[in-house]
Amino acid sequence: MKTSNQLLLLGVLSALSSATAAAADGAAAVDTSQWKCESCKFEQGVSGTLDVGAGTVSDKSAEFGQYNGLQKKGGFFIGGASVRSRGADGTYWNLDASNLGLDTRSVDAEGGKQGSYKLRLKYDETPHRIWDGALTPFAGSGGASLTLPAGFAAATTAGMPLAGQLNQVDLATQRKQVGVGGSWIPNTNWEYAFNYRHETRDGNKATAGSFFVNSTQLIEPTDYVTDQVDASASYASKKFQLKFAYYGSKFTNSNHSLTWADPYGTAAFLGTFPGAAAGQLALPPDNQFHQVSATAGYQISDKTRFSGDIAIGRMTQNDSFLPYGTAVPGPGGSLNGRAKTLDAGLKLSSAVTDRLRLNAAYTHNDRDNETPQSLYAVISTDMFPGAPRTNLPYSFKQDKLKLSADYRVSERLRGAVGADFDSHKRTYAEVDTTHENTAWGKVTSSLTDKIDLTLKLAHGERRNSGTFQPIAGITPPENPLLRRFNLANRTRDTVGLRGDFTPMERLSIGLGLDTSEDKYADSTIGLTNAKDYNLNGDVSLVVSERTNLRLFAIHQEIKSKQAGSQTFSVPDWFADNKDTIDTFGLGIKHAAIKDKLDIGADWSASRSRSQIDVSTGVSNPAFPDIRAKLDTLKLYATYRLKESMSLQAGYWIERYSTQDWMLDNVVPSTIPNVLTMGLQAPQYHVNVLSLALRYKF
Amino acid sequence: MKLKKPLFAALLLLSGFAFSAAAEDKPAAKAAEPPPAPMSMGTEYTEKGADTCLQCHVEGGDFPVYEIFKTKHGNRADKRTPFAPGHLQCEACHGPGKKHADNGGGPDGINSQKRTSFLTPQQRNKYCLACHQNGARTGWIASTHDANNVACSDCHKIHAERDPVLTKATQPDVCYKCHKKERADFSKPSAHPVRFGTMTCSDCHAPHGANTAALLVKPTVNQTCYTCHAEKRGPFLWEHAPVAEDCTLCHYPHGSVNQWRLKKNPPLLCQQCHSVAGHPSVARTSASLPGGAGGGQAFLLAGSCLNCHSQIHGSNHPSGYKLMR
Repeated sequence: MKTSNQLLLLGVLSALSSATAAAADGAAAVDTSQWKCESCKFEQGVSGTLDVGAGTVSDKSAEFGQYNGLQKKGGFFIGGASVRSRGADGTYWNLDASNLGLDTRSVDAEGGKQGSYKLRLKYDETPHRIWDGALTPFAGSGGASLTLPAGFAAATTAGMPLAGQLNQVDLATQRKQVGVGGSWIPNTNWEYAFNYRHETRDGNKATAGSFFVNSTQLIEPTDYVTDQVDASASYASKKFQLKFAYYGSKFTNSNHSLTWADPYGTAAFLGTFPGAAAGQLALPPDNQFHQVSATAGYQISDKTRFSGDIAIGRMTQNDSFLPYGTAVPGPGGSLNGRAKTLDAGLKLSSAVTDRLRLNAAYTHNDRDNETPQSLYAVISTDMFPGAPRTNLPYSFKQDKLKLSADYRVSERLRGAVGADFDSHKRTYAEVDTTHENTAWGKVTSSLTDKIDLTLKLAHGERRNSGTFQPIAGITPPENPLLRRFNLANRTRDTVGLRGDFTPMERLSIGLGLDTSEDKYADSTIGLTNAKDYNLNGDVSLVVSERTNLRLFAIHQEIKSKQAGSQTFSVPDWFADNKDTIDTFGLGIKHAAIKDKLDIGADWSASRSRSQIDVSTGVSNPAFPDIRAKLDTLKLYATYRLKESMSLQAGYWIERYSTQDWMLDNVVPSTIPNVLTMGLQAPQYHVNVLSLALRYKF
Repeated sequence: MKLKKPLFAALLLLSGFAFSAAAEDKPAAKAAEPPPAPMSMGTEYTEKGADTCLQCHVEGGDFPVYEIFKTKHGNRADKRTPFAPGHLQCEACHGPGKKHADNGGGPDGINSQKRTSFLTPQQRNKYCLACHQNGARTGWIASTHDANNVACSDCHKIHAERDPVLTKATQPDVCYKCHKKERADFSKPSAHPVRFGTMTCSDCHAPHGANTAALLVKPTVNQTCYTCHAEKRGPFLWEHAPVAEDCTLCHYPHGSVNQWRLKKNPPLLCQQCHSVAGHPSVARTSASLPGGAGGGQAFLLAGSCLNCHSQIHGSNHPSGYKLMR
């Protein structure tokens, strides 16, 4: 950050610190000794609900069941509970369990004495079904070594004996997390807390490996363990709050490499490249992150408050190196990778008068990569020696100062103005530093009791510190006219307009418009323009005492322009991207029979279209649009059989269809030099019926 | 888009508001009719505390309050709560209630904690912050939500046995009340699983204030992402600079129409930053689609650039500098 900015910050902090005001709120002292609270119905004893039932899914779909556990066709068990126990002395326990019959199950138990201590146990599962029926000729999918049937290799995919040799493998991972935590409050000022999570993530996912220009999609084993710890000590008084904390995260991968046989490794090929019979990918290495932090808040006066935090961390990675190639010994040893992080923030806010508030906030984020540099004798894709390369440990440092003033003109009108100053330094980048300054203003007005309007405008300009220079050590060099979009000079304009209308107590209407445009006027090659346009509306209506209705609609357009050069000189091709997304929703809740039968429906529809146009001056047909269409209808009903028992029914219909030329009709033999897994753009039509009994006690 | 002029006009206007603050701290009186007496908080507490309030706020009435006794606030044994002996009960959060009670109810004289209150959000929040300025709320003042006049009660239902914003499955609907675009994001073809209730907004965001952009739970975007994606943390031998810098340079965190939550499809995504002589700089057109006359399908279809550069998040392989091993 520039010295002038630092001086400005100090000046503002100093000015705000001196602002003081009286603290009186005008309330009289009171004697509460006779406030018996005899009408208060403090809860005691055990209460809660238990859910038991069954459901059925009409069809198998990884896409539908991607995260909800309903990926299989057939029946499933519905089980859940929400139980509370309260004792007169503040002792309590809660038990919440949901989706017990699915692999999204979750159990959360907490108990203790409120205001003194608590213990918490948690178990949680999260699936990620990625794709059903990936096609692969390899044996050993899910493991660290993939082998091919004898005689499989061919120079192109069309020459490979795919018929009868492709195995179907479902791609999916499953997270299972066990957590234990607790806190202790020895007195009203201090609280100590501890939380530990142990998460496993098992399964497989897609990756790819290549031998020069011949590539193969592969199944990568996922056998991860992540352990995370949070521990903290907090102090709080009326004027001063302080928290010391430690966060630790340790990642462990059971597989450090994936080796696969070369499907292009014919005898002739291996005669030229004898080391290319198999390739090896490095899988994510074990790593750790440890961070200590302190957070403080201080009420300087009734109207002026300071808060700040600092976090110092260290990330390390020291996995043993793999060989340079499957047939070439590696450098031995390990990286001793380490990066220090320093993140700090200061914030000062003062209500200088009843109407005017001034704010200043400063943040500093630093990732200082101290990984040693060394020269590595590269073997390119297990085939031939490449030019030795030195690793480039990237470091980043960002300083941001935000100043703002908020002024209440009247009860119906408020305004705010602000300025943000952002400085970003990077190592091994084409420019060392970028500076971005943004000015913004906002007006919020309650035109009447029934109309609220907010308008926010912002204008930002980012400039880099000098001329773009090629990065030493990266060959071949980039086109000198290329400007990477995160470093390039940029002008950003944003507009936000929001209106909330309440024509009658039962009806509220919201309308919003947000636009943003990034201009990269100095970028000849690379991203040159990006726009985002968002229009949204929503309606909430209490139709009657028994019926509620809500409606929403959102239209979004994301556009960008970029330029490239096939001749390594001036731009000779241009591309336009336009994504259009429309989302609609309608929800209705109705008490069909008062205190007996509640019914409801939620419908939503989402349509997206991606238009891509690449212009080279040579006439080519346009790319087909990439489209996705999602329709969801959920119907639900609750029928009270008696005070303690109710029947809950649900019916969920969901249809999804996509067209994506990146995937459609791309079978394993489509691309001569890429043996794909034949993954197609997902489609499904699934119905889910559920029926459960809820017992309330 | 020609925004500069209106922007600076607005900024000028707002600057005028700010500079006039010191000189003019009271609204100008209307010349015509005398304004009605403005509503204000009472200064005296009720005679019997909650027992006074509950005479009118009965179960099944228009302003039900009894569920407070099923919540943590309604616990007498915890000496921190409003209902602990000696504390101000209902009036701890709603202010001295005698004026409200003497008026027979109504909005005057009381902090209803509702949007329709005559108090500003900051004035309403002050009652909450009297006890809750610690922990995650330490930085609430001047945080994004505070600066946008969000009141605690805009998100929290204090009288509900289960506050919807504290429940994983129902929290997003509370956030969507203001964050309209995000509702649509989570219905896009590639999205984090908020729509299915297995993930929620506060898994990544700290709504009570943080010094990060977008109020993240960790100091930076990447540190936040690593809480679930620790395998991408490294440091790797061969890093991909934008990956180490900021995940959101390539990914939309909420949802995208493109695979893997990418901001656009490869190869164009990658060609925004890579234009070396050779295959990265070549325009990939529809001629490379299946059945097309052009070659180069490997650069366009299936995983596009990732067909070979699959280690896009970094590689620890000694020969992995092109992120192919």
